[in-house]
Amino acid sequence: MKKRLYIELENCIGCRSCLAACTQCGGHEQRNRNYVYDVNPHVNRQTMPLMCLHCENPACARSCPAQAIQIHETGAVLSALVEKCIGCQNCTIACPYGIPKFDEEENLMYKCDLCIDRTKDGIPPMCASVCPSNTLQWLTEEEIEQKQRRHDLDNDKWVTSMPYLEGATNVKVNLPGILQGTEKLF
Amino acid sequence: MQRDKFFKEIENVKHPNEKLIKTHCSYCGMQCGMNLRVNTATNKIIGVEPRYDWPVTVGKMCPKGVTAYQQTNHDDRILRPLIRDDASLKGTKEGFREASWEEAYDLIAEKFGELQENYGKDSLSVFSGVSMTNEKCYLTGKFARVALGTRYIDYNGRFCMSSAAGGFLRSFGVDRGSTLPWTDIHETDCLFIAGSNTAECHPTSMFRIWNVQERGGYIIVVDPRETPIARRADLHLDLKPGTDLALANGIVHLLIEKGYADEEFVNQHTNGFEETKELVKQFTPEYTSYLTGVAPEKIERAAEIYGKAPNAIVMFARGIEQQHKGVDNVSGYTNMALVTGKIGRPKSGVATFTGQGNGQGGREHGQKSDLLPGYRKLTNPQHVQEVCNVWGITPEEMPKPGVSAYEMFELMDQKEIRGLYLLCSNPAVSAPNLNFVRSALKKLDFMVCADFYLSESAEFADVILPSVTWSEDEGTVTNIEGRVIKINKAQEPLGESKPDWQMQVELAERLGKGKNFAHLKTAKDVAEEFRLASKGGSADYYGATWDKIEKQDGVFWPCKDEKDEGTPHMFLDKKFYHPDGKAQICALPYRPPAEEPCEEYPLRLTTGRVVYHYLSGNQTRRIKFLKDMCPEPYVEVHPDTAAIYDMEHDERIRLYTRRGEAVYKVKVTEAIRKDTVFVPYHFGHEESINLLTIPALDPKSRMPEFKACAAQMQKLDSKKVL
Repeated sequence: MKKRLYIELENCIGCRSCLAACTQCGGHEQRNRNYVYDVNPHVNRQTMPLMCLHCENPACARSCPAQAIQIHETGAVLSALVEKCIGCQNCTIACPYGIPKFDEEENLMYKCDLCIDRTKDGIPPMCASVCPSNTLQWLTEEEIEQKQRRHDLDNDKWVTSMPYLEGATNVKVNLPGILQGTEKLF
Repeated sequence: MQRDKFFKEIENVKHPNEKLIKTHCSYCGMQCGMNLRVNTATNKIIGVEPRYDWPVTVGKMCPKGVTAYQQTNHDDRILRPLIRDDASLKGTKEGFREASWEEAYDLIAEKFGELQENYGKDSLSVFSGVSMTNEKCYLTGKFARVALGTRYIDYNGRFCMSSAAGGFLRSFGVDRGSTLPWTDIHETDCLFIAGSNTAECHPTSMFRIWNVQERGGYIIVVDPRETPIARRADLHLDLKPGTDLALANGIVHLLIEKGYADEEFVNQHTNGFEETKELVKQFTPEYTSYLTGVAPEKIERAAEIYGKAPNAIVMFARGIEQQHKGVDNVSGYTNMALVTGKIGRPKSGVATFTGQGNGQGGREHGQKSDLLPGYRKLTNPQHVQEVCNVWGITPEEMPKPGVSAYEMFELMDQKEIRGLYLLCSNPAVSAPNLNFVRSALKKLDFMVCADFYLSESAEFADVILPSVTWSEDEGTVTNIEGRVIKINKAQEPLGESKPDWQMQVELAERLGKGKNFAHLKTAKDVAEEFRLASKGGSADYYGATWDKIEKQDGVFWPCKDEKDEGTPHMFLDKKFYHPDGKAQICALPYRPPAEEPCEEYPLRLTTGRVVYHYLSGNQTRRIKFLKDMCPEPYVEVHPDTAAIYDMEHDERIRLYTRRGEAVYKVKVTEAIRKDTVFVPYHFGHEESINLLTIPALDPKSRMPEFKACAAQMQKLDSKKVL
């Protein structure tokens, strides 16, 4: 059963466990590959993760003159192949979310590969495995559809694979507002 | 057992030449399940893999948990005993030389012997901690009382959980930190959370807590700061630090006045309702608002939500407990559950967020100055006899109760205590009023410190004994729920380091008490004796065997015998542990914090944790990821307050109280009251906020008032530079 990374931004507590866990995926050379932002730090404690959305037609791969960025059969947009990457940094400029990072010493780009060693076997990526607040979840298509039905407020609050920016993505995102349609128990 | 909707069957990744060792985190009371990855060629811990099959945390970990394994083979580990011959270097890292265990033990036995010969048995003391297994906590109590024969033993739970313990004992007659398992939390209808920065201090509770709102339930948070959990709460009661009891009384008053009291429950299962009803009458929303600074409408709404909720859980943590009325605050908030009968059934109850890994178990088995294993009392002759039978001593040989943690420093200052055996704690950072505490440590004639890193407290020692990290020994820990769980050994001790229980057995031999200790050759041996010593006490672990823990995913105490599966929910039979079986609703007059703001010190200083660090930071400040995320302390200041003082974000300023001062960077944020400033306490030396905190102790729990004192800020004179 195909599973996807699903992001519920409203839940984020800013613990950055996802970044710590990212370094622990065997294939990540102890470097984290995503971001957590303080949205408005002088005002409140709101934070949000910025993870690679694994676009179906990724700008990073399209912009790569060396075809170093491969797309796995699961849809994961992989980190640049070491033997092909020429260190031009096109991908870091092309990505609308600023995901690819650059290793100045090695002259290589590196990015989230959705823990491909895990997710190719259906095991959740490290970030979603550890996320204490369920901001990052690893869900089946059916579970995501249920979420969508639940949170679809008919007011454009649900944003997933909408034709914005880079179009369809393999990772599904739910913007803040998940509680707006919740009916209180009493 | 207790597998719920969050539980998913997931197979772990298996890397070649690796094995996974199932265990739990080294840090807080959540005790998140984790697998340590061990290289089978080198037999060294090399990483972490989520433990999806642990029913409480289902693989989740905070950033401390994810990086916890990096403690074990860290470059800062102490690998051999260290001796410092030049006492003038006390209070610094300098002057230590490596020594053999033989030499270290000989020196300790000689010095301890001399002190006791010249100044009496009680010239020695033991200061311990609860970030270690039940077996170690148990043996430390026996070591102090049997091997050293001193009355002076106490532990860092006095800075952590002792108020919760005192409050629960008074309200329920028993101190189990949570009356229900954590797997109930997401199924309740209302969480009333006071003085807990849950998202940072117990992050892996958050997926259950958020789910209450997703189901349409309510979260009410009481905190002077808009913490990450307060930001999303349905109601945030932003009280002044140190005014919890007024708020609790105000809400109890409204619960009674608006008809939310459960008369049948109150009549049949509690005492003290009428006196309490009378006392809380004066705590009208207006008067409560005047005392706490919380708007009257919010207080009324909180009482309405909690009162109406079919099921509700009252939860709290150090925010209400680290006050000089911490015990009253605990009983005060517990009154909410007792008055409305929302206790003694699934999905309803009371819980404290246990701060340290074994904060629960570590306080039950004899490290506290007045307690013996199984929550027995030193003042009860029958209890003493029961423990003497296990220890092989006579009641006459059993030392009398000593004094609490902070009071031990006072005795060191007065030279009443002249020797100290310190383990599993770093009071040179975590105790209040540090200028005094550090000077008291310096006055000691002889000090031993067992630790795996050279902590700020070890800098005062004459001998440092290298202990192991949690991953190099095995034993049990009692988690936040009261569930006894098993810590497993993943690696052999690094260098010449040893587990604390082994050091104590070997030292006891040197001190002439070998006959009481020599049979303890493994952690399991200690576990067997410890179970026996707890048997029949109110915290009875006799039935919590290691096999049962493995088979049942942990065992909730009390667990009296082999057949007993343990007690996930307390008081299901509505029987409380007071002699008449009733709970106590407590009439508690309000008192303000020991030190109220004044003209000279107009601000309220409060302290706490950040998500990246644990306790004194002795462990987490050495982990690169955590250090990078939060390298230094800061003072949180509201922008309006910063404007009055003409201070900018990131500016370094002087913060001071009647007891001390420190320089901090200002962090400007609207997420704090205008009359309050906050500093995290995980930092050492001149960065310690505890240089400023007040040692006003709770009369019952002897807990210092870390959470409220009067302070002032001052700009540094930058014009002097060039």
